[in-house]
Amino acid sequence: MLDLKDLENRSVYILREAYAEFQRPAVLWSTGKDSTAVLWLCRKAFFGEIPFPVIHIDTGYKFKPMYSFRDRIANEWGLRLLIIRNEQANKEGVGPGNGKFECCTRLKTQALKECVEENGFDALILAIRRDEHGIRAKERYFSPRDEDFRWNYKDQPLEMWDQYQSLAGESTHIRVHPILHWRELDIWQYVRQENIPVNQMYFAKDGKRYRSLGCEPCTFPIESTSKTIDEIVEELEVSKTAERSGRAQDKEKAFTMQKLRALGYM
Amino acid sequence: MKVNVVVAGHIDHGKSTLIGRLLYDSESIREGRLAEIQQLAEEYKKRFEFAYFIDSFEDELKEERTIDTTEVMFKSKKALYSIADVPGHKEFIKNMLTGASHAELAVLVVSAQEGVQEQTRRHAFLLKMLGIKRLFVVVNKMDVLDYSEESFRTVREDVGAALTSLGYSDVSFIPASAAEGENIYRSSQRMKWYRGPTLIEALDQVNLSLEPKPLRFVVQGEYRVESQEIIVGRVIAGLMKIGDEIVVQPSDTRTKIERIRVFPADQERAQSGDSVGLVIDGVAKRGDVLGLVGSAPMAVRRFWGEVVLLDGSLGKGEELELRCGTNRVKCEVREIKEKISAETGAIVEAGPSEIGENEAATVLLATEPLVVERFSDIPELGRFVLVKGNRHIGVGVVLEALE
Repeated sequence: MLDLKDLENRSVYILREAYAEFQRPAVLWSTGKDSTAVLWLCRKAFFGEIPFPVIHIDTGYKFKPMYSFRDRIANEWGLRLLIIRNEQANKEGVGPGNGKFECCTRLKTQALKECVEENGFDALILAIRRDEHGIRAKERYFSPRDEDFRWNYKDQPLEMWDQYQSLAGESTHIRVHPILHWRELDIWQYVRQENIPVNQMYFAKDGKRYRSLGCEPCTFPIESTSKTIDEIVEELEVSKTAERSGRAQDKEKAFTMQKLRALGYM
Repeated sequence: MKVNVVVAGHIDHGKSTLIGRLLYDSESIREGRLAEIQQLAEEYKKRFEFAYFIDSFEDELKEERTIDTTEVMFKSKKALYSIADVPGHKEFIKNMLTGASHAELAVLVVSAQEGVQEQTRRHAFLLKMLGIKRLFVVVNKMDVLDYSEESFRTVREDVGAALTSLGYSDVSFIPASAAEGENIYRSSQRMKWYRGPTLIEALDQVNLSLEPKPLRFVVQGEYRVESQEIIVGRVIAGLMKIGDEIVVQPSDTRTKIERIRVFPADQERAQSGDSVGLVIDGVAKRGDVLGLVGSAPMAVRRFWGEVVLLDGSLGKGEELELRCGTNRVKCEVREIKEKISAETGAIVEAGPSEIGENEAATVLLATEPLVVERFSDIPELGRFVLVKGNRHIGVGVVLEALE
């Protein structure tokens, strides 16, 4: 499996560059397969112990099994888990019912913004991949955000070879994307090879499984009979549907994702 | 095997369309995406274009041009390709370079109607400087010229002359129409006079062989794990194994590899590409480079480089920062020998006092002790970026290390 080795080597290199360049990094963990793989890569890069906080944005709308999976892994891996919520928005009753765009922005982006300000994080490690979405394919490995969290996608920094820019213009923090170059299929093959724990919701029950995990009201299962990782890998090798086809944010309207991300969404 | 390809060329010559076509014909477009794009085109009152598969910014659709680089992947029968689309407009050169910097192969798209244009030349120059191993020229939009062999020959001569003057020797030309899908993935029935490979056949035929190189390990940092000092970094060339006698540069100290650590278990050896941790009987810090005794690298204080400036100006005597490998050092521009046209590669001025945006030059750089290698020998240590006020403003390659 030379190819997985290449992917891993590059990701570990990027994580170590981030650790060298930033004073206060943190990694985001949704408990999904991608960010769990990133935590695994962090354990590889830092020999078992992740030397920075792991942030979980809790919208209050996640699936139950995501919470139990989170607490189990956090304990097993000894994570410095930081659970964040936008309490104010929760109090106001913000939810997908009164607008998905606002819901994502307030419960996720806003919660994260406050957490970054409070803790003074200068880098956030995120598990986005190019092949998930056209907009994410436009990202850099090190991608600056200004104090309003905005992504200035029209003027992104030069990123030559393995020379990542840790300070660019008026940025207040940098988004670090160590698995930008991985495909969905690579993630599953890696999960299989490394025996990385994943949420059981990814496996088929009654002819359906979750291919991408988000908040319960806005995430839907796909038709699938894949009950094991081998079967998921097989399914993905021939699948022609989009990975995030069960995610509402991607579907609303064209460029919704671009607009969400321009405001600081992941 | 994964092959990195960059698709370059002048604006509107059809780069994004060509990539959209590659994705479409290799059946890499997911279900429903075609209908989505057709609807989008209608909404924005545009004619459907294959380019819309990858130009995913709203502004790119509106302006009908690529603003930033995108990387997409698809599989042919032979290989997995990662294709970088880059903007063909002069104001986006930094995005073009970002997209091209990881490529092994390049496709230069030239419109049969327009022939060689400003960015055709500039991109070809930059690709050459970046050390692209093979270049394929797609003479695109042949449909507009009724697939005429004569038109193809004219463009081939025109482009061939420009590329020869830039130092290219082994270049293939493919007459094609990305919009119609002729000679991209499918062999053209309308250009039977052409007997060469389609673009995908040409790419599939390339064999990227690696020559053996001496060990080079770049140090990213020192960690303390279980009360043991671990030097983390990456093998960028060659091979290492436990027990090897090594030299740390620039401190020029000798030591030995005691352990090669990866999580969760140790390794006996590490090879080019590997990110590992080393336990050594000695000291090494971020920015250092390790090699084997007998073939170790040298640290220098002066070297000749070729640079392209992307932002502002660069003057003789100027002090700035330079990053090479994991090292970051102070650097002074001792001499600007020649200003080079980034379009033709020709010398346009000898001994200028400064160069400006999008200009290239051969320069003599003086630095704190630094390991550099000639770019043609070990590219990873022969390329650098210039940093001013925390911004990466220029890129360069090492022509010759002095002392």
